[in-house]
Amino acid sequence: MRKIWAIVRREFVERVRTRWFWIGALLGPVLFGVVFFLSGQLGRGGGVKRIAIVDGTTTRVGARLAEQLDQSGAFQAVRVPVADGVVDSLTAEVRTKRLDGFLIVTDAAIDSGKVEYRGSNVFAGKGVLQRPVGEALTVVRLERAGVDPQVVARAALPLRLETRKITRGETAGESAAQSFSLAYFMGTILYTAILLYGINVMSSVLEEKTTRMVEVLVSSLRPFQLLLGKILGVGAVSIFQFLIWGVAGRLLLARRARLAAGDVGGADELFQVPHVTGATFAIFMAYFLGGFFLYSAMFAAVGAMSSTEQEARQAQQPVAWMLVLSFISMFAMLNDPGSALAVTLSLVPFSSPVAMPVRWAAGNLPASEIVLSLAILVAAIGGVTWIAARIYRVGILMTGKRPNLKELLRWIRTA
Amino acid sequence: MTSVAPAPTPILVLDRVHKAFADHTAVDNLSLAVPPGVIYGLLGPNGAGKTTTIRMIMDILQPDAGSVRLFGAPAGSRVHAGRIGYLPEERGLYRKMRVLDVLVFLGEMKGMERRRARRSAGEWLERLGLAQWRLRRIDELSKGMQQKVQFISTILHEPALVVLDEAFAGLDPVNAQVMKDVVLELRARGATILFSTHIMEQAEKLCEHVCIIARGRKLVDGPLGDIKRTRGGHHLVIAFDGSVGAAARVFADTTLVKKVDDYGQYAEVELAAGADPQRVLRDLVASGARLSRFELREPSLLKIFIDLVGPEAAQAGVRTDA
Repeated sequence: MRKIWAIVRREFVERVRTRWFWIGALLGPVLFGVVFFLSGQLGRGGGVKRIAIVDGTTTRVGARLAEQLDQSGAFQAVRVPVADGVVDSLTAEVRTKRLDGFLIVTDAAIDSGKVEYRGSNVFAGKGVLQRPVGEALTVVRLERAGVDPQVVARAALPLRLETRKITRGETAGESAAQSFSLAYFMGTILYTAILLYGINVMSSVLEEKTTRMVEVLVSSLRPFQLLLGKILGVGAVSIFQFLIWGVAGRLLLARRARLAAGDVGGADELFQVPHVTGATFAIFMAYFLGGFFLYSAMFAAVGAMSSTEQEARQAQQPVAWMLVLSFISMFAMLNDPGSALAVTLSLVPFSSPVAMPVRWAAGNLPASEIVLSLAILVAAIGGVTWIAARIYRVGILMTGKRPNLKELLRWIRTA
Repeated sequence: MTSVAPAPTPILVLDRVHKAFADHTAVDNLSLAVPPGVIYGLLGPNGAGKTTTIRMIMDILQPDAGSVRLFGAPAGSRVHAGRIGYLPEERGLYRKMRVLDVLVFLGEMKGMERRRARRSAGEWLERLGLAQWRLRRIDELSKGMQQKVQFISTILHEPALVVLDEAFAGLDPVNAQVMKDVVLELRARGATILFSTHIMEQAEKLCEHVCIIARGRKLVDGPLGDIKRTRGGHHLVIAFDGSVGAAARVFADTTLVKKVDDYGQYAEVELAAGADPQRVLRDLVASGARLSRFELREPSLLKIFIDLVGPEAAQAGVRTDA
């Protein structure tokens, strides 16, 4: 027991002592902040703001449209009467970045709704302009049909859809944006941390193998004890890392709430400060630990069957891909947390450590599903560790070429 | 094999140990006993099964058949980890760890208390001239210094049995000297040392007991002196004092002499099988030769080794069964 403790301490102390640990600890929250800020920016339409409206209409439609867009506050719209070479000169303006783009409006806009937009970022332009231009045209059409301008103004009042999540029959204080951002947050951290620390276990196994330290160690304690100490030690490092991130994140979020009052309002619409309950925290930790144990046992086996860093990098790919897949499917799950795919992924033990917390944060989950998923995960940890420990036991003393599948099966049988 | 006194209980006994890998037999029905307090040499050409044997002793590999007993008990080495020091053939340490931390950690692996490990490590580092490196990282040390650190890690916990696999291979002469001195000191303190090597000159100087194996099989074992006596006695060194008499006729007697290297006043003689050296002496004196020297020479360990293993295997150091 004391020997396992010594292994745990060595793994912990040596890792926490490195520069990289502290760089990760400090940079992690900053990086997350940047990613979130950028996604917020993207959600705002890539900064399509300054636009011109080339007015080729015979009525007041062009002028009215410019007025409407300008008043919305989201754009600085200028009306330009159609003339020779006006399109060319506006194109030049776009190229020199004095303008984000321009709309070409003709009489056809009223009847067929056809409006042309040219700009540097047409994808964002389409997303951002579709609704306001459409609404502005509706207003003009109604006015032309002789509807009272006051009625038109009242009818054109924009929609403010407010969402409240229902958790276990109670309406929670969370908005859709908050659940989305919480799910996104948890999924990303779980995926990154399980992968990162799993690979840490792998390189630790590999180091002992390549330096032959393992011979001395295995003559003093059982391979399983060594493996256990290693996984516990690296796991302790990851929890310490979370602790630092948690404290740093709290400080950062407190600060951000103040910033949100200012300019970054747009980012807040999509990514809001999540409300982390005790239950959410428990789910996060349970699935992190489960996923970490499951994957680090597999990564340890990969390290044990490889002889060089390069071999290990290749051999770890199938293991890493299982994680990557569950991360990729996170976005589909966010769209529909109740879909058959999402339910399956949150029960399969290789994807549930990422999938289940994401579903938990995104939608309403029956407790029975969580219990079932955790039970499967624990059972899988038992089975996978049993196999991995056997591969580990044989592999750490083997040198030379990597075993093929047949040899691997023999290792598992004979160990 | 002529052991005079009743043998004390051996520290290590291998009883018909057998180990086969997928494509060959590494250790074949090997039995040996290491008495306490000796320097025991496990000798053999490369690929003879020395490292496999040692790994089975260290409980790293399990024998397919047979048993290993340490300190009179059948339990594996892990139970006795605190009493055994093991230096594997291939060396290495955690490269990024500090010297003192590595030693304390490995001491803990042997069941030492942290404080004791720290004190003992400090003392050994001091003794081997590495005191000022104690807080440096392993990869800042020279190869020779790393070897010293690893050697310290083997003996830090004052083991009763020290197992050194090809301990002197790759050591620079200065370190080899240091290590030899420490090995002798441990032996003087009562420790038993089992060391494997394929370099016979080294073994001859250090070992009291040897076991020579090849292709996984034991060829001979016992106290080195006994082996030399039973294996030797075939070589004569003869020097004449002026008159050689009819020595040439005596040397020509094929029932007595197998081979002779005659320098006139000096000759080296290899006796024929079963020939009595005393008859050579009698015949020479009877032939009128005056002798200044008549010596029955013990063969070197290397000679015995080559005789047993065969010159190709001994020199090439390759497995002949592969």
